Amino acid sequence: MLAKRIQPMVFQARRLYVELMFQVMGRALQAVSEVDEKVQNEARALPDGFLFEMMVMPNGSKLIVEHTGQGRFRYHDDQAPRPVDLSIQFKHIAHAFLVLSFQEKTSVAFANDRMLVDGDISYAVRMTRVLNRLESFILPKLIAERAVKEYPADLHLPEKLISAARIYLKVATNFVETVRA
Amino acid sequence: MTNKYYEFFCPVKVIAGKAALEHIPYELTGMAAKRPMIVTDKGVRAAGLLEPVIAACEESGLEITSIYDDVPPDSSTTVVRDIAGIYRQEKCDSIIAVGGGSAIDTGKAVNILVSEGGDDIAKYSGAGVLKHPLKPFFVVPTTAGTGSEVTSVAVITDEAKGVKLPFTSPFLLPNAAIIDPRMTLTLPPHITAATAMDAMTHATEAFTCMAKNPLSDAYATSAIKKISHSLLHVMDNPKDSDGRLDLAQASTMAGIAFSNSMVGLVHALGHATGAICHLPHGLCMSLYLPYVLEYNLETIRDPLGELLLYLEGPEVFAATPAGRRAEASISAIRKLRDALYKRCQLPRTLKETGKVTEDQLDHIAEMALDDGSIMFNPKEVTLEDARAVLRRAWA
Repeated sequence: MLAKRIQPMVFQARRLYVELMFQVMGRALQAVSEVDEKVQNEARALPDGFLFEMMVMPNGSKLIVEHTGQGRFRYHDDQAPRPVDLSIQFKHIAHAFLVLSFQEKTSVAFANDRMLVDGDISYAVRMTRVLNRLESFILPKLIAERAVKEYPADLHLPEKLISAARIYLKVATNFVETVRA
Repeated sequence: MTNKYYEFFCPVKVIAGKAALEHIPYELTGMAAKRPMIVTDKGVRAAGLLEPVIAACEESGLEITSIYDDVPPDSSTTVVRDIAGIYRQEKCDSIIAVGGGSAIDTGKAVNILVSEGGDDIAKYSGAGVLKHPLKPFFVVPTTAGTGSEVTSVAVITDEAKGVKLPFTSPFLLPNAAIIDPRMTLTLPPHITAATAMDAMTHATEAFTCMAKNPLSDAYATSAIKKISHSLLHVMDNPKDSDGRLDLAQASTMAGIAFSNSMVGLVHALGHATGAICHLPHGLCMSLYLPYVLEYNLETIRDPLGELLLYLEGPEVFAATPAGRRAEASISAIRKLRDALYKRCQLPRTLKETGKVTEDQLDHIAEMALDDGSIMFNPKEVTLEDARAVLRRAWA
């Protein structure tokens, strides 16, 4: 009985969590592209103006980033200025929650058919590598190991801490700027 | 509770064995189809493989309305549009694709146009664009390797833009796959070997990659058992129809397995090598398989060890200590490749192909890293890893 009563609140909390995580990840993608050379090299292969979307089907939360050139991303919140070029879509908010709460690795979610790719698959592979790199930076190693297929062996603590601090600072600044605007 | 989850889907009716072709008229009639069009290539026609298909239909009073026999090895949007035009002009109502991967993919693409309308196949490119069932579509494979008769994918080249267009939809799956040993009896030795190793790779990767599941495992292990048991026998006795049927069924089973659990690094490297060096797909699979298994070894030790039972049989499996079975599986695959090299010079290294130069390896590695299959490889592959595998496969 109690479980039934609190279920709507659980669903609401899950929705808010996924929405918040998309906002953090979108801003963090912009930040990591300003901080990390490997991410920049990955992103350079994307066409300028390339729009990437990650969303929950059918019309749930989403994040949109644009490759503005030279390996840099710009976060667009959930509003795309034009049709997106690549969309990774979670089939249900429960699947998005599994991935964004690090209970299921992104690669496992793909293997488990939790997500669909609409667009060029080679760009999806590239964006997955960028997301993995981002998660390796911003999550504590123990949690990152649950999120990515393989934690990068060459990512040592000093580099991780410095990069993570810079990314979080940029994310926080972006949040503040958004609120002020 | 475990997070493990999987999906499995294969609605294709498999019609396999002696006199399987003779079931085509009954199956077509059951779908109210009376005016079938055959889509095939010149090689299939020249090998006399169309005759038993036509005879089987005519004997039951079913006329083949039209035959298109000019599908190129790398089918294009223009070819698809032309065939769809003939289909409409001749008022056909169903398609029978007879051939290997290209004829089957072309048949799938033609079926999109004649069912959905229009002349621009590119419009339907991508995943999940199709929303309705298509016209009756049968496939008669003439190679035993691609598994295209049970996959929901087709790839067609857009010549004008110079890109390969992928089409993915469950509606692309044929209504029936007809596996008749007569269709593969005349396959030359090197194609028999390469296509069987293609099926072996489909099954091995399906069993060891990330999206493996209990149902695809069952198909994968059965396929491996049949190939291990019959491939060398067929190489020595090409006219043995039981052996040929075993290989054809193995190819279909491996196709069902990998289309439900995907493939990994062998395919990523193979696709890149095919694109850059124009090597046949089956050959690339045979070439890279042991090197990739060695690379993945510590991540796939358990499933790979299990495969020894199907590769070498129960005696060898029981006599091999559990901790050595994974390595023994790789050795069994190497042994099979050596035997094939002895019989038909199927290359085992990139150098042996004579068509790859060492300075192309970096390009292959870079391209492989962007291939969709790499997502399902059990180990995260870096550019340096891919280069290392290629260097090992070089000579």
